[in-house]
Amino acid sequence: MRVSKWSERFFGTPLPDPVVMVSFLFPLLYLIAFLVIPVIVMLGTAFKYNGHLSLYWFKSIFGSSYYFNPLHPQGSFVTLTTYNGQEVYYFSGLDFGVVLNSIIVSISVMILTTILGTTFAFIMARYDFPGKNIMRILLFIPLLVTPFVNVVVVQKMFLPNGLINWIFYQHLHILPKPIWIDGLVGVVIAQTITYYPIVYLNAYASFINIDPSLEEQAENLGSRGFHLFRTVTFPLALPGIAAGAVLVGIFSLEDLAAPIVFQGSAIAKKLMSYQIYSSFVSGFAIGNPQMAALALVMLTIALIMFLAIRWYVGMKQYAMLSKGGRWKPRVAKPKWWQALLIAFVAVPMLLITIFPQIGVILLAFSKSWYGTWPTGFTLDNMKALITQPDVERVILNSLLYSSVAIVIIILLSLTASYASGRFKKAKLAPVLDSLATIPIAVPGIVIAMSYFFFFSTVPPFKGTILDPTNLIQFFPGAALILAYSIRRLPFAARSIAAGIQQVHVSLEEAAMNLGAGRWKALTSILLPLISLNLLGGAMLSFVYCMSETSVGITLGSINSTWYPITAKMRELIMSAVGSANLAAALGVFLMLVQITAIVLANVITKQRYSFIGLT
Amino acid sequence: MVLPEVVVGMVDVKLENIVKTFDGTTALKGISLHIKHRELFTLLGPSGCGKSTTLRIIAGLDYPDSGHIYFGDEEVTYLPSYQRGAVLVFQNYALWPHMTVFDNVAYGLKLKKLPKEEIRRKVEWALELVKLKGFENRYPTQLSGGQQQRVAIARALVVEPKVLLLDEPLSNLDAKLRLEMRSEIRRIQRELGITVIYVTHDQEEAMAISDRIAVMNVGTVEQVGTPKEIYESPRTEFVASFMGKTNVIPAKVVDRQGDRVTVEFESFRLDGLHYSGDSDKVVLVIRPERIKLKPGENTVSLEGKVDLIEYYGFFTEVVGIFGETRLIARTISDREVANLRPTQPVTFYIDRDDIIVLPKQL
Repeated sequence: MRVSKWSERFFGTPLPDPVVMVSFLFPLLYLIAFLVIPVIVMLGTAFKYNGHLSLYWFKSIFGSSYYFNPLHPQGSFVTLTTYNGQEVYYFSGLDFGVVLNSIIVSISVMILTTILGTTFAFIMARYDFPGKNIMRILLFIPLLVTPFVNVVVVQKMFLPNGLINWIFYQHLHILPKPIWIDGLVGVVIAQTITYYPIVYLNAYASFINIDPSLEEQAENLGSRGFHLFRTVTFPLALPGIAAGAVLVGIFSLEDLAAPIVFQGSAIAKKLMSYQIYSSFVSGFAIGNPQMAALALVMLTIALIMFLAIRWYVGMKQYAMLSKGGRWKPRVAKPKWWQALLIAFVAVPMLLITIFPQIGVILLAFSKSWYGTWPTGFTLDNMKALITQPDVERVILNSLLYSSVAIVIIILLSLTASYASGRFKKAKLAPVLDSLATIPIAVPGIVIAMSYFFFFSTVPPFKGTILDPTNLIQFFPGAALILAYSIRRLPFAARSIAAGIQQVHVSLEEAAMNLGAGRWKALTSILLPLISLNLLGGAMLSFVYCMSETSVGITLGSINSTWYPITAKMRELIMSAVGSANLAAALGVFLMLVQITAIVLANVITKQRYSFIGLT
Repeated sequence: MVLPEVVVGMVDVKLENIVKTFDGTTALKGISLHIKHRELFTLLGPSGCGKSTTLRIIAGLDYPDSGHIYFGDEEVTYLPSYQRGAVLVFQNYALWPHMTVFDNVAYGLKLKKLPKEEIRRKVEWALELVKLKGFENRYPTQLSGGQQQRVAIARALVVEPKVLLLDEPLSNLDAKLRLEMRSEIRRIQRELGITVIYVTHDQEEAMAISDRIAVMNVGTVEQVGTPKEIYESPRTEFVASFMGKTNVIPAKVVDRQGDRVTVEFESFRLDGLHYSGDSDKVVLVIRPERIKLKPGENTVSLEGKVDLIEYYGFFTEVVGIFGETRLIARTISDREVANLRPTQPVTFYIDRDDIIVLPKQL
């Protein structure tokens, strides 16, 4: 056999090797088939009018004040209104049109989560104080994902008779009048509380990873206090913080839970994600090319944010310059005024942000919740999880879909990480690497939308169980499994790629040199050595398959027999009084799944739970 | 003690015109070598000279762009590593952390599907050979650096390789252990009579351990020979200067009488030196221990001043300055240097046959 130039160029192996080729081609073709082509098909729809290539649908968006209204915003940020005969400040936000509203909400959430997340991260990374370990555990609570129901609790907290006014108006008298947060402001607050842990985790890791000698040298040269933070600490941590913030920005853009819960206020519906979603549920607008165009606008914004942060973080790699050794992070006792700030600002803030998860539990175990606190303890909702057939059914559905998806995800991440991690010189390696991480930046609603166009128009899928317009045969589970396997791929892929990077290539080479073929070297050496990363990543992906929202409440809610958990939760919170409590019980179930997975991952892999994403 | 059933390393290795490029830069520019069976052959050179690449190509972990490799009469140039039987001991040992010492060593035998009893016996033999009997159930992380090294060697030997390849095997060990392992490797090689190709950047290590050495520099082989040949008759300026501390003086040929020449540097003129090259631009290579402080029968002399005297214990070095040129003389006689002081005049005497004249290269 001879050296093959094309094999070396594309696959990085001079001798064509079937294992390597499959490792490249399987994930590549899968991602092209179920991510790239569907988006391109949607692209085709959006750019076509009366059978011609046209910008008509984009002009229809940017030419309409409903979608794009930068100069004459409607409504007012805050008004004085009456609620149950009492004057209250009503916050709802200005309406700049659907596109700009989404961008403004996203930027506001990025700013607020950055402030909140960085502050907590700095306190936890740099100060030592009594109760720090309790705070560490409490900070873990907001990471638990409970679609819809945590927003329901946030909404209740910020009603005129809610928890916030109970504390700050009724008892502390800090507020002159009660406040009522609704509409776009409500969406911003709910998303901030939901997503700030992402910034917190990224910022915390960044602060911990700063080589203490860099700060010590600055102190040694005379810098201290805020000057030291501004000139050394913060710039070094910035890439990590920015990465977290951008992730939050993308999640805010695609979030459906907050707009759906706040849709009682019409302005909350004027967001891109909600508009696309509503075209799905209203039925008659489905397949509307204008919505395809809107989905593309959303995808473009998300991709620009994602690529910009990748470029920026790549450029700022100097933060890792002196990495290598293990060091003792710099931890100090807070000064008296810092201690006061921690005790009377940070801790109350933390308690407010973990209240949604506590509220979900309260909601699940109560009969009703009208005022500040829920009333009437009951176990009925929790019992319904295992006794009520339709609820039982959705749990089994979700477990089924997620389990199948996780098998695909493991195969995809193993092959993709091996190929792009071990054969870096191959032309296909960077392509595969990008394709495997980009699903993080593709809004779920965009995937749902493009799957709709793709499976309903393109053979061989048209008319099969994947075709959502084929109402008799359509099996939502199949579409959901495909969507899950794409959307949740990055979690496992990142974890496995990190594992492969830690295993020196000479360990496999030694095996092959001693007589093992590549397949044998992989199964007997590499696989056992990365098994913990595999397990950790797979559990993370599984947990987020279970709580996947965007595709679940669109493609997944076409046939109630095949609802996933999230579709049922959405239905419950939108229907009759008292159903929200049952939705909360499902939320508690999801939390239990997550806690189990996280504890298992921690026990088995002894690794810190470092990355998390939502919706 | 050698079990009669284990027959290892009985093959000649031939490299013909091996060329290898990485990302447009040529790492190997046409290497040809003939390594005889039962020989300990060393590839010596500075980092980046291509010695490890050559070793990986022999192991089948990289493939050449052109050229041929033969094991005996069999061409193996594009044979995959796992079919080749040229077993490499990696610089970092590459022991599998999830396997015990026994499983590490038995790995290659299990692939051959040998009966369990035979595997056990052979592993035992190999571990005894490297003096690690009793460590079968330890994990690599529970071993010291030297012990890990021995496991790596046992793992390679036990599969009866056609040729054993060692990539800087001592570079991760401390100084004392390095000397110990060096003689250990030599002992095992002699005992088994196997062909070993050894890569190192340490000329002293290469001299001590090798039957023959190939000195490499920027992708080419500069000279192949026994340690004595390489040290005493370097064929290029690079080889001369790489093999230990030496004096290298740029000079010019001013007169030729057959293969005897007269050369000139600064204001000094040395006659009757042996040189058969074409170029008139030359370097004079003089080993420090060949410079004397007393005249002999066939010596030339250089008059200058003492610059420095460095005492090393079992020898002393005198640095003399001759015009702009500094020369180091090494002597083991304390008496000769007892009266020397810096800035004092000194005369260096060198036997004409100890001055190696080579064409200027760098």
